Amino acid sequence: MTETTITSTGPQQPRKLWTMPRWLTSEHPFPWVFPTTATLIVFGLYPILYAVWLSLHRRHPVTRENQFNPEWNWSRVFADERVWDAIAVTYMYTSVAIVIQLALGLAIALLLDSERRGFGLMRALMTLPLVVPPAVTGMMFLLMYNNSFGVISRSLQHIGLMGTDTPLLATGSTALWAIMVADTWQWTPFMVLIMLAGLRALPKDPFEAAAIDGANAWQAFTRLTLPMLSKIIAIAVLIRGIDLFRVYDYVKVMTDGGPGTATETLTAYAGKIYFGSANFPYASAVAILTLVLVIITANIFIKVFKVRF
Amino acid sequence: MNFKNHDKQQYIIDTANAFTRKQITKREFLRKMGLAGIGFSAFGASMLGGHRRLGGLTGIDPAYATTPGQMRDFLREAGRPFAGTTIRYTSEATPPTVVANELKGEFTELTGIEVEIEIVPLEQVLAKATQDVQGELGTYDLYYLDQAWHATFARDTIDPVQYYNDKPELAMPDFDFADFSEPLVEGISKIGDKWVGVPFDIPIFTLMYRRDILEKHGIAVPTTYDEFTAAVQFITEAERENGIYGTGLQARSGHYSLECDWSQAVWGHGGSIFRADGTFSGNDAEGVAGLEWYQELLRNAPASSLESTWDGQFQMMAAGQVALVQSWDEFFPGLDADGSDVQGLWEMTIPLIGPHTLRDRADAGYGEIPDWGHQGGSSIALSRYSKNPDAAWLFLQWVTSKEMMVQLTLGGGFAPMRNSSYADQRILDKAVVGPGTTRHLPVVLETIEKYIASEPDMPLWAGLSSNEIPTELGKLLTGQDYDGNAQACADQIAQIVDAATADAGLR
Repeated sequence: MTETTITSTGPQQPRKLWTMPRWLTSEHPFPWVFPTTATLIVFGLYPILYAVWLSLHRRHPVTRENQFNPEWNWSRVFADERVWDAIAVTYMYTSVAIVIQLALGLAIALLLDSERRGFGLMRALMTLPLVVPPAVTGMMFLLMYNNSFGVISRSLQHIGLMGTDTPLLATGSTALWAIMVADTWQWTPFMVLIMLAGLRALPKDPFEAAAIDGANAWQAFTRLTLPMLSKIIAIAVLIRGIDLFRVYDYVKVMTDGGPGTATETLTAYAGKIYFGSANFPYASAVAILTLVLVIITANIFIKVFKVRF
Repeated sequence: MNFKNHDKQQYIIDTANAFTRKQITKREFLRKMGLAGIGFSAFGASMLGGHRRLGGLTGIDPAYATTPGQMRDFLREAGRPFAGTTIRYTSEATPPTVVANELKGEFTELTGIEVEIEIVPLEQVLAKATQDVQGELGTYDLYYLDQAWHATFARDTIDPVQYYNDKPELAMPDFDFADFSEPLVEGISKIGDKWVGVPFDIPIFTLMYRRDILEKHGIAVPTTYDEFTAAVQFITEAERENGIYGTGLQARSGHYSLECDWSQAVWGHGGSIFRADGTFSGNDAEGVAGLEWYQELLRNAPASSLESTWDGQFQMMAAGQVALVQSWDEFFPGLDADGSDVQGLWEMTIPLIGPHTLRDRADAGYGEIPDWGHQGGSSIALSRYSKNPDAAWLFLQWVTSKEMMVQLTLGGGFAPMRNSSYADQRILDKAVVGPGTTRHLPVVLETIEKYIASEPDMPLWAGLSSNEIPTELGKLLTGQDYDGNAQACADQIAQIVDAATADAGLR
């Protein structure tokens, strides 16, 4: 608080006992930045720091006490075979799903990039899967994959692509792919929307020039569309890739990481330790490891593909 | 209760009894209920037989519940200071919890105490209860405790017997702790001398069989593991073309249901999960024999067994896909429901016995009880951290009282925990083929009294039984690892479990 000095000379000034500190006034950035910063600290930074802190403790399963022991969980994380399996499953899931969703998203976007009658409706319908909660999608596919009555399994059995003795979600070689299908059904429209926005923003002139020069559709796509769309594609892959790396809902609902550990991603494993064994510090260590891997992978991607925001 | 209300409730009960005995049709029953001012939702009506459901819940209406006069007076008086209080209880969707959720309105009407029952999947119940006790939060006043978790939560609950004695002003008249089945109290509720909770649910392994299929092939009801295996193999061979298998399993990888099947297989072959010195013994000769037997069963079961927990196993039975199942008795009323394709075709008998000799309890570890009938019971426990323990205690007494135990059984058809319930005339009257049947209860009672088996009482068991053990078993059964070698799988489990118990300082 500052007080103004009252002098006996000069014109009479109104008596001001208190003025607001400058850093609290609208001229200073602080009042504008504070709410957002506080929210980020409370809901973003604090949980991460707390998880890091928790991961530095050993939880005694009998006494349930958390004792500070920084090495306990971290030495186990790297010695835990299930962690390594989960890392492999996570990278496999992320890389395959991103390629499929990108290819499908781009292809559908190219098909829907038209002003002809009915295309607007089709673009709107494309967004419908996005509004379904992922857990509901997982449940929906779980039923459709049921080996006895599921429409997908029965159809595949009927056309001879699958035997009755190999349930999709209970067979190690098919379970991860089955989950990817559900993920792809739900999130390909997201890719479509981003690609469509990118396609709509492309300048028309280069395409007109190419047409005059006799370029065919394939040449125009590979020499013009793809290069000009590359930054959009890179950003879409980055956003979706981070999302895929954290996949939890589908795995939890459809297989819970099984059969065995065939679909156990890092987040699914962390969830299992958390919910099943109630070992919160070790689950935190696995979760922090996931965060670190996401950050490293995303930064490598940004460097390699020169993504600029 | 005034005479008008009394007459109305009597009319409703008479009508319900007539419907149960098939003296009136469903249409007539609904019409009469309409006259009595009872509205059934489409869901409730469908539960009267239109749909199949685990436990065969009959969609009981709160009007069925007739808390006796003495108890009503007690609840009104004792509950008065707590009117307006809300208590919270989290549970899996077990039959008694689902029915109690429907009937809780009467408790609220009498006491003014609101009851919130959160029904979530089993693993979430565990996570919520664990978080609550870890932080001593008191978010939940009552916990649903599966028998596998009792040792974990033993110090977080209030002993109900002690509370009953310490608070005479809140002690429900004629609550009668001695009326609870002794083996259940030992297996489900007690850790040492302490009652961790009050028994609330007792699914237990019995043998269920399709009478018509066995008769068709001239097969006697199996009584031993060897006879069962032979019958299962024969039926699969003979009926596979018709889409019928010898048995169905709850073998979903990584799920507690698989661990339940496995532990019974080990006990049934003379093994145990732990030795007396606390080391894992599922990898000894008897344990491996049990696991190999289970692998053989899987070859004679629908492939969907690998993706099924108890719900899926029940669906296989209800859909007529399987002929012989050793599993939870709570399936039975649902199989008898109206509209069921197999109504009246399933029968129940005691679990398989022999030819192997059971391992002695003294040779097993952590209070494990190797026997023929795996129990999967649960109790309802009063949280030590509850902010409203007295109000919650009143609800706990009400929901586990003699009268409510009968009402819950009539509504759900599951086995009651009190000896007096088995002799109750209303329950005996429902021992006929139909929705919510109680005709299987004599077998259940015999199994509880003579053959009840219990998993170990140890703090790590909640995690081991729902994560490490069923995950490794899943790798074996689905061919992800071990190349079909049961011994290798059991040895790996031994390594994991022994490391965990050593880390925890349990041996």
